[in-house]
Amino acid sequence: METAIFYIAALVAALATLRVVTHVNASHALIYLVVSLLAVAVIFFLLGAPFAAALEVVVYAGAIVVLFLFVVMMLNLGRTSVERERGWLRPGMWIGPAVLAAVLLVSFVFVFWGTDAKTSGEMVGPRAVGIALFGPYIIAVELAGFLLLAALVGAWHLGRRYLEERRGADDFPEEDASPDEAAPEASAEGNA
Amino acid sequence: MDLLWLVPAAPLVGFLILFVLHDYLPKVVAAVVGAGSVGVSALAALLVGMDYYEAGAEPTWQLLWTWMSVAGFDPAIRLYLDGLALAMTGVITGVGFLIHVYATGYMWNDHEEPEGYARFFAYMNLFVFAMLMLVLGDNLLVLFLGWEGVGLCSYLLIGFYHRDPANGYAARKAFVVTRVGDTFMALGLFLMFRELGTIEIQQSLTLANEQWSGGDTTMALIIGLLLLGGAVGKSAQVPLQTWLPDAMAGPTPVSALIHAATMVTAGVYLIARMHDIFLISPEAQLAVAVVGLATLFIASFTALVQTDIKRVLAFSTMSQIGYMFFALGVGAWSAAIFHLMTHAFFKALLFLSAGSVILALHHEQDIFKMGGLWRKLPIPFASMLIGSICLAALPFTSGFFSKDVIMLTAFEHASHGLVFWGGAAIAAFMTALYTTRMMIIVFFGEERSEAHDSSRLNMWGPLLVLCALSLLGGWFGFGVVADVLPDGGLGEFSHFSAVALVTMAMPFLGIFVGWLVFGRRVIDVEALAASKAGNALKRFFFGGWGFDWLYDNAVVRPVMWVARINKGDIVDWIYRITVAVTRGAHHVGSLTQSGRLRWYAANMAFGLALFFLIVLGVIG
Amino acid sequence: MPVAVPIEHVLALAGLLFLLGLIGVLVRRNVMFLLMSLEVMMNAASLAFVAAGARWAAPDGQIMFMFILALAAAEVAVALGIVVQLARRFESLDVDNADEMYG
Repeated sequence: METAIFYIAALVAALATLRVVTHVNASHALIYLVVSLLAVAVIFFLLGAPFAAALEVVVYAGAIVVLFLFVVMMLNLGRTSVERERGWLRPGMWIGPAVLAAVLLVSFVFVFWGTDAKTSGEMVGPRAVGIALFGPYIIAVELAGFLLLAALVGAWHLGRRYLEERRGADDFPEEDASPDEAAPEASAEGNA
Repeated sequence: MDLLWLVPAAPLVGFLILFVLHDYLPKVVAAVVGAGSVGVSALAALLVGMDYYEAGAEPTWQLLWTWMSVAGFDPAIRLYLDGLALAMTGVITGVGFLIHVYATGYMWNDHEEPEGYARFFAYMNLFVFAMLMLVLGDNLLVLFLGWEGVGLCSYLLIGFYHRDPANGYAARKAFVVTRVGDTFMALGLFLMFRELGTIEIQQSLTLANEQWSGGDTTMALIIGLLLLGGAVGKSAQVPLQTWLPDAMAGPTPVSALIHAATMVTAGVYLIARMHDIFLISPEAQLAVAVVGLATLFIASFTALVQTDIKRVLAFSTMSQIGYMFFALGVGAWSAAIFHLMTHAFFKALLFLSAGSVILALHHEQDIFKMGGLWRKLPIPFASMLIGSICLAALPFTSGFFSKDVIMLTAFEHASHGLVFWGGAAIAAFMTALYTTRMMIIVFFGEERSEAHDSSRLNMWGPLLVLCALSLLGGWFGFGVVADVLPDGGLGEFSHFSAVALVTMAMPFLGIFVGWLVFGRRVIDVEALAASKAGNALKRFFFGGWGFDWLYDNAVVRPVMWVARINKGDIVDWIYRITVAVTRGAHHVGSLTQSGRLRWYAANMAFGLALFFLIVLGVIG
Repeated sequence: MPVAVPIEHVLALAGLLFLLGLIGVLVRRNVMFLLMSLEVMMNAASLAFVAAGARWAAPDGQIMFMFILALAAAEVAVALGIVVQLARRFESLDVDNADEMYG
């Protein structure tokens, strides 16, 4: 029974992903992406990784895709963009990448096949993951924290309007020089 | 002994002060610092010398610091004091101090370089420092440092009046020609280090004696000749003598200090310091004698026809240093250093009094535009007269004591005694002759120019002291180097043998002939010089026996020709082609840089696929 | 409840998803679709990790999944910022417009 569920979920994931790649409407493609992610979450659960499955749903489907949706709405990708997408996606364009992908897939399968191993069928729960994460992987966790911080700063910088208004300007606008805001933070950090 | 460090340190400090602050120092301060630092150095040298004798005249070391310490090689900045170093230090600081004092007056109203007063003294102090490091250095590295340092200062001071390109040319010539010698010397030092494994001078000489003495002396010969090459370049001996006459482009105190009293005698010092090498290899020592004799001969003939008073003195200096080399070559070691000292006295005196004459005539150096000056310029005349009789080596002057010993030692030379003595005697005759000519033309005869002697105490004071030193400097003997040099002090000779009498008579003969020819005009010199053979000979002598012409055609012109042919720099083509190829490859490579994200991603995927296929053995 | 399926099947699914994403990256000119395809590719990589973790009943696979998650979050934050800038500057989401950095 569970084995059947696995193959069904795999099929759903593959088909949904195919639609993500081929769809011309961004919103619909995102919905397919959510479907694909949920299917993969089911597979995670079946592979004995419930914590990963939960994170897949919460973070991927819940947060990241929502972020995509925000941007899609912000940029107002309506009917005209669907038409444009359709114009961009000519059938001839698929041939090259498809051949390339086919070659790679054959190689992958050729390598994987015949290992004759099965997944353990045992569950690795959140407790074990947490212990390992904050044990041997603690440095990597710190580094991931740095990465997220850097992404935060980068996103904040890229999102500002002056980049567009003052192209080529090398000075910062006055609004950035806000000592009133910076000072309490600095002192708070100092106390901490 | 503790003050030994102060001897070189004082001029160094003086140099640093003057060099850093030269725009801000008033002239008086610059003069006090410039001359005072050398004065302090001289005083320290005096105290050090007294201590040295009180302590029993034993060689002493003073370690200042270790230069570096790498893999067992740890050259130290260490001072070494023995009789030879003490004698040199005394000359450098003593005569140097007098010349510095003189220069404070000489350079005071300098019209060519009015802003350069402090700069002048900065260079002079640096020179004194470098020269002291050269003679006090305990290892070859420090010696070489000083050696190059004095060369640098010589270059800077010859070209001191840098607004005239000719002076810059003279400075470059001096630098390049001495560099030829320096290369030989550097090679010699490298070879010594390689063969003996140490750069400590005393230690290496001991080792040299142990290794080569009595055995195969080829290495000693090679090293000796290389060192002689360095000495020849620095001391303006044949065949690298051509730079010294041109070096007279510098201010006269520079000529007195660097190109008469101290730097040009560095070669003599070097050979005396390394005397063990030359004792091991008699061939090398013979080469020293031959070089000295040749220079002595050529320079004294050349001096006879010069018209520039400083060039006369320059050629005279060359010939006197030739005497020193000659003395070293024939084994009169102590006499060579003795002559170095007396020569420093009387040649500095001659240069400084010539400087006074030149200054009084508003920088006129042509002796034929002088004449009859003895009444107007009594002090320069008197001092120049004293300097001249010392140069001509009349009995009981300092020059006599040193030169006499050299010639009599030469006569006793084992293999070539008579030739050596004869050549030196002829040169002694020539010395007296050209000195007489110079004195008669400059100070007697009709007056040809206006002269204003404006010298003050700081100019005639040093002249007076140098007069006393020149006259009396030879009376007290010269025992200071007896423990250092192999001949154990000056040789003792009877002054009543035939050879001694002839030797003594030579200067008188020269003066007499000079008086007849240039004073009484028994022979019409102008007519002689105007005749075809006479003119050719005169031009040959005037040009320094054609050495400049030879080098110009043999070295300078071919090099210039090659440089002109090779304007495009053939060797550079290798690099230009490399650059072109690299650039072309870059252009080809940059064609793939379309700037399109998807193109890059496709290439990556393609590469990955290719990689997989190769790994799986499908292709390749 | 966990199943014991052959690991080849899981990895094949991961490879399939990855290559679908790759095709999307190579074909789509709209930068939004390009980013979605990237997400698919990263998700496929996560699946491979989790499958490997399940094979040995070890937590490391899931930990790698979490790092990929962090990476994806960071990437999306920055990339969407760039998308916004791209849309403002070029009035278009065509990624081929931003090809000024050619050799």
